[in-house]
Amino acid sequence: MSSVQALCQACSCAMFQNIECKLGFAKFCGINAVGLSRGRKSLLKPIMAKEDHGASLIDDGNPKCQGHQVNKPNGINQSTALSGKSLTEMSNIGNSMNILWHECPIQKLDRQQLLQQKGCVIWLTGLSGSGKSTLACALSRSLHSKGKLTYILDGDNIRHGLNRDLSFRAEDRSENIRRIGEVSKLLADAGVICIASLISPYRKDRDACRALLPEGDFIEVFIDVPLDVCEARDPKGLYKLARAGKIKGFTGIDDPYEPPYSCEIVLQQKGSECMSPSDTAEIVISYLEKNGYLLA
Amino acid sequence: MRLFQLVTRKQIQRYNYYGKRRRSKRFVLNHLKFVDLSYVGHNHNSVPCRYSKQLFSSVLCRTFNVKSIHLFAQKKNEHILVEWLLIADKGDFSGKNLSQMSNVANSTNIMWHDCPIQKQDRQQLLQQKGCVIWLTGLSGSGKSTIACALSRSLHSKGKLSYILDGDNIRHGLNQDLSFRAEDRSENIRRIGEVAKLFADAGVICITSLISPYQKDRDACRALMPKGDFIEVFIDVPLHVCEARDPKGLYKLARAGKIKGFTGIDDPYEPPSSCEIVLQQKGSNCKSPSDMAEEVISYLEENGYLRA
Repeated sequence: MSSVQALCQACSCAMFQNIECKLGFAKFCGINAVGLSRGRKSLLKPIMAKEDHGASLIDDGNPKCQGHQVNKPNGINQSTALSGKSLTEMSNIGNSMNILWHECPIQKLDRQQLLQQKGCVIWLTGLSGSGKSTLACALSRSLHSKGKLTYILDGDNIRHGLNRDLSFRAEDRSENIRRIGEVSKLLADAGVICIASLISPYRKDRDACRALLPEGDFIEVFIDVPLDVCEARDPKGLYKLARAGKIKGFTGIDDPYEPPYSCEIVLQQKGSECMSPSDTAEIVISYLEKNGYLLA
Repeated sequence: MRLFQLVTRKQIQRYNYYGKRRRSKRFVLNHLKFVDLSYVGHNHNSVPCRYSKQLFSSVLCRTFNVKSIHLFAQKKNEHILVEWLLIADKGDFSGKNLSQMSNVANSTNIMWHDCPIQKQDRQQLLQQKGCVIWLTGLSGSGKSTIACALSRSLHSKGKLSYILDGDNIRHGLNQDLSFRAEDRSENIRRIGEVAKLFADAGVICITSLISPYQKDRDACRALMPKGDFIEVFIDVPLHVCEARDPKGLYKLARAGKIKGFTGIDDPYEPPSSCEIVLQQKGSNCKSPSDMAEEVISYLEENGYLRA
């Protein structure tokens, strides 16, 4: 700040002060480095902007133009990635070769800029009764109080809607997790912090969902509660039914649960002491703040 | 009457039910709606405490002479909706009688879990009303172009929108579907369900797919609350779409390489009552920005762009 003021004082010109107000310091240096003649040409634009009503448009245009120049190499990479994506994506669909990926100019970065947050997926995994839905609600409430847009994809709620046609067979369970992963990918692409709350007991399914999203957009939260504690809680009465043999293939009793090897957050219950949902939500939020998810 | 006296004697207040007695002395409670649980007590999540729930279950067990009762409490509006699974003496399982579970045919152990941060809170945060703009029209009528223009205009107004392109979704969520008739309907059903989730999240969801059948579009409309589904029909004649042919599909369909192509082999049913019709007047072709502005003026008139 003082150096900028010093530069302004050294120039001793109101015109430069106006430029300093509108443009950034780096851009000011850029203009200075270009040369006097080109700098003079650039100087004329703000003066012209101040004279008519097009000032706001020009001011808006400048960052966009700069953004375009900055994104141009990314555009080249994006077009290369786009053609690569088309080639690989088409091979997945064996039935038709006539589906082309349609890119749109409003990208994920624009939406994240609008929302002032980074779209990601918080994947809560744990046994039934470990407190996934409770933590999801507390997390959603805390993030909403910070002004962040969140959405909870509860595994049970999705079974009422999108995955209504699926049963509880092994392949349908994997399909259930795949579809929730795809929807969470779409929500994260829209800029929403998506909180997926489902058991997802198999490591293979969780890794497949992680592979759908870009690196760093998948935050796996393992709620490490022992089976006996979950069974003692039994908030939905399912463990009792499973022990009585009324429910087949229940995770933790008939089917195994594979704890994650390398997840981002482990919420462990220390002995008999039980953390409150707000405290566990704060652990997740501090992770989000530390890694820059709550600022665009 | 005897059962009612028993209930009164156990001091269960404001209790309303319809019971049916069977020969094996099992009770199936079909229409139980509300039970006053004020004395049972609640924790901070508005779910009955474990101890009180067990006490209440034991009271009901003695009252109705069943082996055990499992209580599930969900908070809906101002009441606490109580549903339970009855396990009679012979272990009969009658969970399907509960209306909350009847939507899921394969399992009766899925409960709807409501969350305190609702749709109104998200809409208040975003200063917009979450809705679904369903663009329907023939291939080549400009659905994707209008969707992009609409998204760009909404973004310039500071509104959060997201495009669910039918072709893009087929690469991800619906990659297991083919182009058979039932898979096409399943494709539209899934996109409708995802659009419902986006609208519930507060996002203005723009779906861009042909969806040629009125039945499928009406099924998607039925998923949303009233007023959240905005059907936009891009009325472009078939010969204009075929003359455009941006993806080369009409040429392939005419050559017989694509079977069941909408407009050539399969019919397209124009919407009978949609919210917006973007019509091309003769040879005069409106620009995508103008058509997007027409949709945005509809959104502004009906209060979708403010919470």
